[in-house]
Amino acid sequence: MVGLSEGEKQFLRGGIEQDLRSDGRTRLQFRSVSVETGVIPQANGSARVRLGATEVIASIKAELGKPSLLHPDKGKVSIFVDCSPTAAAIYGGKGGEELSMELSVALERCLLGGKSGAGAAIDLSSLVLVEGKVCWDLYIDALVISSDGNLLDSLAAAIKAALTNTGLPKVNVVLGASPEEQPEVDVSDEEFLQFDTSTVPAIVTLTKVGKHYIVDATSEEESQMNSAVSVSVNRNGQICGLTKRGGAGLDPSVILDMVSVAKHVSQQFISVLDSEIAAAEASDE
Amino acid sequence: MAASTYSPSQGTERRQRQQQMRRLSIQSDWDRSDGRSFIQCRPAFLRTGAANAASGSAYAEFGTTKVIVSVFGPRESKKAMMYSDNGRLNCNVTFTTFATSLRGQGSDNKEYSAMLHKALEGAVILETFPKTTVDVFALVLESGGSDLPVIISCASLALADAGIMMYDLVSSVSVSCIGKNILIDPTNEEEVCQDGSLVLACMPARNEVTQLTLTGEWSLPKINEQAMELCMDACLKLAGIMRSCLKESANLSN
Repeated sequence: MVGLSEGEKQFLRGGIEQDLRSDGRTRLQFRSVSVETGVIPQANGSARVRLGATEVIASIKAELGKPSLLHPDKGKVSIFVDCSPTAAAIYGGKGGEELSMELSVALERCLLGGKSGAGAAIDLSSLVLVEGKVCWDLYIDALVISSDGNLLDSLAAAIKAALTNTGLPKVNVVLGASPEEQPEVDVSDEEFLQFDTSTVPAIVTLTKVGKHYIVDATSEEESQMNSAVSVSVNRNGQICGLTKRGGAGLDPSVILDMVSVAKHVSQQFISVLDSEIAAAEASDE
Repeated sequence: MAASTYSPSQGTERRQRQQQMRRLSIQSDWDRSDGRSFIQCRPAFLRTGAANAASGSAYAEFGTTKVIVSVFGPRESKKAMMYSDNGRLNCNVTFTTFATSLRGQGSDNKEYSAMLHKALEGAVILETFPKTTVDVFALVLESGGSDLPVIISCASLALADAGIMMYDLVSSVSVSCIGKNILIDPTNEEEVCQDGSLVLACMPARNEVTQLTLTGEWSLPKINEQAMELCMDACLKLAGIMRSCLKESANLSN
């Protein structure tokens, strides 16, 4: 992105103060979101989400694995975000590593809940087939194709859509004769189990520019930010995760205000997203 | 007679302890394993000047969590980096291989370096050292729970010891939510079975939060009344302890 001149910066900040952003949106308005599911045939579930000019693809692959010794009654989920150089030249090689890690950790935090598994969007104990021996390993891989700001929100939306699209094959387990023997597993090609994604949260990032907050910032607006707070809210209005991003310090009352604004805005965003995902799934069939 | 050997507990014993903790968590009041109340932090042991080679360093011991941070700088930025009016802050957090009960588990926490950077970024006055870099290296000697807050507090003490200009000391605490209870400064055992956590780093004198991370399900009043106010208050007290530690070392050198 080419740097902004002083005049352009003033224009951006002034517009935000007057509740009229460069593309005509108000401060708390999202860009139009478009969802396509089933874009990757080899994956168990996939989705492609476009939020304005930001485009991301999420794919979910499930493989049979062994549960960890510490949690024998839980399956495993790992989230990995890759910022591709097609989005920005600096992401090539090791440049995008820091951003990828920040996004992966923020997504894991929002989707997997506390360490005991409470508040998790994906119920890990539903992924276990034979306790201590066989479980599903879910690999959620997201790819950023084009970046125009607000990557975290689009990634969360893509993962939600991909989870709705995911079908886990039904597995017939034959336990071995003795408890030490590895059970035999027979993965069916026909029947599939769908995920219940009503508890999967959406992430809303509020960017503070001057004294006001905006939702769904473009990359130009993000360059002018003082700080940002990403809040993950589920359909019941519960906060499932929060990350403060960006450098400057914030007064605690400001943070709490941002959280309540995010809660309010997210309800509308979740309903728009849900209807888009449902439409995409319906057109898929 | 053969001496009995010690082997770390895995599997059944640990699960039993976790199940017991889950049963206790449904009650509203129970004793923590080290006798603290829910709103009591572990006693803090802080020392500056732990590493001779560094411009500034600090050692922090909060119960079983032991961290040493050394600060190098301001020193010349690499030639490949562009000229910059502001200084650069480079943070790196590493765990020793013996820090966790299972060898090498510390490498799971690669994001701590970025989080430390974000927590300190708002406090360090970068304009005072243009063209140069300040390196902050944190080494976790033993991970006993609530690692990141201890790393942040120790790093800000080390920066002060190195003479880097800052708006205020950054102190940090974390709370764990188990059932309906909120416990401050959790140990490893408590963290493993937590339902949610909140890590807060703030500059108490300016009343500004530099880092806030929430995991698990929270409702808005719970975040505000219980967790955040508790954390801000604890951070204020911790900053007071850090200041007295700095004053002590200044007096000793005189």
